[in-house]
Amino acid sequence: MIVRIAIGGAVTAVALALAARRLYRLGRLVRSGAPAPGRTSKAARRLGAEIVEVLGQRKILRRRQSGIPHALVFWGFLVLLFTVVEAFGDVFANRRFAIPLIGHAAALGFVEDLFILVVLGGVVAFTVIRTIDSPARRERRSRFYGSHTKAAWVVLAMIAVVMVSLLGYRAAQVNTGDFPYGDWAFASHALASLLHPLGRGVNSVIETTLLLVNVAAIMGFLVFVTYSKHLHIFLAPLNIAFSRRPRALGALDVPGSTVGAEHIEQLSWKQLLDLVTCTECGRCQAACPAWTTNRPLSPKLLVMDLRDELFAASGRLLSPGRDAPATKLVPDVVRAETVWSCTTCGSCVEQCPVDIEHIDTIVHLRRRLVDEGQIEPGVQEVLQRIAQQGNSFGKSDRMRARWTRELGFPVKDARKEAVRYLWFVGDFASFDERLQELSRGLAHLLHGAGVDFGLLYEGERNAGNDVRRIGEEGLFEMLVERNLASLGEASFEEIFTTDPHTFNTLRNEYPAYGLDKPVLHYSQLLQRLLAAGDLAVEPLGLAVTYHDPCYLGRHNRVTEPPRAVLRALGCSLVEMPRHGTNTFCCGAGGGRIWMSDDPSLGERPSENRIREAVALGVDYFVVACPKDYVMYSDAVKTTGNEDRLKVVDLVQLTERALRAPALREPETV
Amino acid sequence: MSNDVLVLAEHRDGAVSDISFELLAKARELAGGSGGRAVVLLLGATELARELGGADLVRSVEHPLLDRYNPEAYERVVRAALEEIEPRLFLTSTTTVGLDLAGALSVASDTPLVSYVCRLEAAGDNVVATAQIYGGKLLAEVELPRPRAICAVLAGSFPVPAMDGEQAPPVEPLEVGGLLDDLRTAVTSVIVPEAGDVDITSADLLVSVGRGIGNQGNLEVVEELAEALGAPLAASRPLVDQGWLPKSRQVGKSGLKVKPRIYLMLGISGAPEHLEGIREAELVIACNTDAKAPIFEVADYGTTVDLFDLVPELLDRVKA
Amino acid sequence: MRIAVLLKQVPDLVEDLELAPDGTDVDREFLSFVLNEYDDQALEEALCLKESAGAEVVAVALDEPEVDQCLYTALAKGADRAVKLGGVGEGWIDGHRRSAIFAAWLAEQGADLVLTGVQAADDLDGQLAPLLSARLGLPHASVVVHVDLNGAVALVRQELGGGAAAEVEVQLPAVLGIQAARQAPRYASISRIRQVQQAGGIEEVAAPPAEGGPGYRLVRLYAPEAAGHAEMLTGSAGEVAERIVELIRGKGL
Repeated sequence: MIVRIAIGGAVTAVALALAARRLYRLGRLVRSGAPAPGRTSKAARRLGAEIVEVLGQRKILRRRQSGIPHALVFWGFLVLLFTVVEAFGDVFANRRFAIPLIGHAAALGFVEDLFILVVLGGVVAFTVIRTIDSPARRERRSRFYGSHTKAAWVVLAMIAVVMVSLLGYRAAQVNTGDFPYGDWAFASHALASLLHPLGRGVNSVIETTLLLVNVAAIMGFLVFVTYSKHLHIFLAPLNIAFSRRPRALGALDVPGSTVGAEHIEQLSWKQLLDLVTCTECGRCQAACPAWTTNRPLSPKLLVMDLRDELFAASGRLLSPGRDAPATKLVPDVVRAETVWSCTTCGSCVEQCPVDIEHIDTIVHLRRRLVDEGQIEPGVQEVLQRIAQQGNSFGKSDRMRARWTRELGFPVKDARKEAVRYLWFVGDFASFDERLQELSRGLAHLLHGAGVDFGLLYEGERNAGNDVRRIGEEGLFEMLVERNLASLGEASFEEIFTTDPHTFNTLRNEYPAYGLDKPVLHYSQLLQRLLAAGDLAVEPLGLAVTYHDPCYLGRHNRVTEPPRAVLRALGCSLVEMPRHGTNTFCCGAGGGRIWMSDDPSLGERPSENRIREAVALGVDYFVVACPKDYVMYSDAVKTTGNEDRLKVVDLVQLTERALRAPALREPETV
Repeated sequence: MSNDVLVLAEHRDGAVSDISFELLAKARELAGGSGGRAVVLLLGATELARELGGADLVRSVEHPLLDRYNPEAYERVVRAALEEIEPRLFLTSTTTVGLDLAGALSVASDTPLVSYVCRLEAAGDNVVATAQIYGGKLLAEVELPRPRAICAVLAGSFPVPAMDGEQAPPVEPLEVGGLLDDLRTAVTSVIVPEAGDVDITSADLLVSVGRGIGNQGNLEVVEELAEALGAPLAASRPLVDQGWLPKSRQVGKSGLKVKPRIYLMLGISGAPEHLEGIREAELVIACNTDAKAPIFEVADYGTTVDLFDLVPELLDRVKA
Repeated sequence: MRIAVLLKQVPDLVEDLELAPDGTDVDREFLSFVLNEYDDQALEEALCLKESAGAEVVAVALDEPEVDQCLYTALAKGADRAVKLGGVGEGWIDGHRRSAIFAAWLAEQGADLVLTGVQAADDLDGQLAPLLSARLGLPHASVVVHVDLNGAVALVRQELGGGAAAEVEVQLPAVLGIQAARQAPRYASISRIRQVQQAGGIEEVAAPPAEGGPGYRLVRLYAPEAAGHAEMLTGSAGEVAERIVELIRGKGL
């Protein structure tokens, strides 16, 4: 007994001391980051997230193959906390220790045994997954590429040891008579019968030995966890508690500074917490359109590299006054091309089971590069055009509404006449010749349906969504000011836009600057009109697939209205595997449409997506975003699929489906 | 005070530049109409005087410091020449030489100057100059006052009539004495571009690319087309500035002047600086997705088909 | 070592240019202005020299429409001082008068090197660098694409056309007309420009009295008639390619 207490006590004391010291240090490191306002507001939502995401394992269950074993192991760990209490009781109290009140309940014994086997089953499942999806074999295609796989194997081994030693000493306890549970603890009893022939004395030794092994393994696991990526078991609930609600998509996090982060401590404490929480699961990497197409960005590797720097800089951060040079995050920790490869599509944020906010960190790194002028000349030129002319095409702002000339009817100037709907058109839909046709199509549809709408004409400027995501915060604010001034001159009830990027920023970011009108995407408006019968259509009977734009489907969860439109048009929709909030980016976002791309890297994200669509056997690829229209029209050509797939916008399909519309009076406001 | 028209001859590596002949032709026209002489000022390289048939007189200046173009040396000499000859008009260009000299002489000799001249006509007793400003978007009509004026003329503005059979003009030296002592400017070397692999100025067919190509990676497919056509690949200035093609391929004002029988231009907008390089191209075919690109006012044939669609189609047909 | 960079705003040519009622100037009321692109190159070259040789860079401009923007941008990019010369009146300021004003200011203030753009879109009566150098009696060179400082001498590369260039040594003080800086003009983020704006920092001084004028009579400005137009080839890429190949073969190539 003394021996058990001595050994158990020593192991426990040392382990707790090491773990506590490590956690304390990690805490100080995280707190050395910049402030992160707003992380404790909306407490009810945060609590809800803890229940749904942590206890309910919601995000991890999205990928069933690894999600189900993980959820089971997680619930197993919770249940098996009882056995940890029992083990410590057995070491420090007496051999026959049982938890007060419930410690002899047959059901508890059964559940404990069941979950021991479930966890072991989980370990087997993980082993299989990691063996099949091994980076040694599959290289970049494995989500574990770049992860610390050896540490992962150690973790799995330690869990196995804990489970086996646990079951082992319970079985021995059955034979020494110390076991607190009855027959329902089936596994313990089954193993006990195997050990029974060894005799009571041997079983007693087995019991003590395996108990101490169990305690040592748990304590060793505890320490190992605090030094490895497995720390997520403590940090995930913490990180999820402080993450943006309802999700870190849509609006960017409010930047603490407009000049971004040059050194690690200029990231906020929440961003640093993100880094140490990362479990290296690689789901973000697998979903990233850049990584998937061979570009030099993996969200996971970015997080891991920043985390390495956090630890490398700990000397400087925790002992200020120490004269150590601060490493520049870009280019010394993360390459500039990595930072610029991000399209801000949000797949990473969507997938991450521990709610890491990758986009906010990437944009914060970009802000620094922009402040120092380290942007490629093409991007510089676009930003200068936007600053000077208010649009990315470098055309005179007076040409913005030129596309309306061929309409044959006048379009109201909302600054001069009140309108019901303010159409914020967006750069591409205003200036690109192909897209001007679509804009005219939509104008005709709306006009025929009697919708009262107007434009801002040259008062409209680039809304700034991608300007902000490039990191030019100052230019973004300038655009917001100008746009709000024009909007302030105009009289309208609701805004709708053709472009999901514009939609995103108007709806999610402009309110902070004072915009208080509802913002719609034109698919939502079409849905309204079709549902109300204002657009009379005949079924088209076409087989189509629909591509959710990132900024519509994923960032803003608007997935149903375009589908409702397609149903109303009588199209049969075949979904691509990656659809809805799991949509796959065309590659144009985050300013990438203005950046140079290296064609030697292989297929582009848009081409990857077209191949996904072609495999469905449908005739039409439906888009609801001007950039998607341009990107996918090009990709259909460059992949040689012009005869198999046609790219169409919702507007074009609606036009095709129209019966001859009766002339209507415009709706009165 | 005379009705003479003075032209500064520009030359390099033993040849008189084309612009000088253009100016000389105009000088003859204007001087002839007013009873003056067309006088050419030739600094250094006196032996080139015999090529200036058509001039009534060549004033030559010999001095070792004039062996290479030197802004300060030229300025001092031309100023002295203006004082001695007192022409009604002094014609120079908008090349480096003209840009250096015109303004400086205007102030130093208190003579009005019009730059970017593209037309020059006698109007009764006066001379009227038309100049391009704002990138050619506007023209300025200027009445040149008496007793004298300077015009800096855009290359290619005046035609050059055939002057075969003209005799070599009389040459009268101009003394400069110690004028070129104490110069504060010295030319240490002249860099001539490497001959490179190809001389685009002698090619009959050229494929030329501009900014419309997007990025360097896209050059490959155009290079393939050029090769299939047996034509060198040329480029506008921005691509050479970025280092995507060597300087020997640059067409334009600060690059080379080419005179192919066919000039196929892809993704070039037609800025004046580029156009200066292709004035003597026989047939210009331009491909640019912007229907309003200035090149379409100058090209013989044009298309707004995207070059990335056009080039593969051309390649197919050429290889066939 | 003080480098003065002379800046000028010119009408943004993206816009259509309307003529003023009297026909001798553009209608400036609805114009937007941008910094002359060659002056931008001159500023960049000056800033590069500051970085390599530790010079003081002073950006100077006349008080013309929208000039504050380019002066603040110059400060945001790293210029040490920005000076605005006021009281120069409205409308287009010709090169002769402009150079006279700058010459008077430079005579008072002094500079070892004066950089400005080699030309601008409205240089009807000549380019600033040579006009200015003659007024100041200083050596100059135009179409410069690189400047190095070596004690009391500037080593410049002057483009001569046809791809050739000359290496020229010019004694300081001197005036240079810059065609291109050694690198593309750097980017100044809007945040930095706004910060500079808030801090103030443009020195406003009265322009010294100066005389000058072009000396000719500007009769009128007018828009050119479209000289002619290319015959446009229509149809699909394939059809156009067909025609082009025909044209090429037609010339026997």
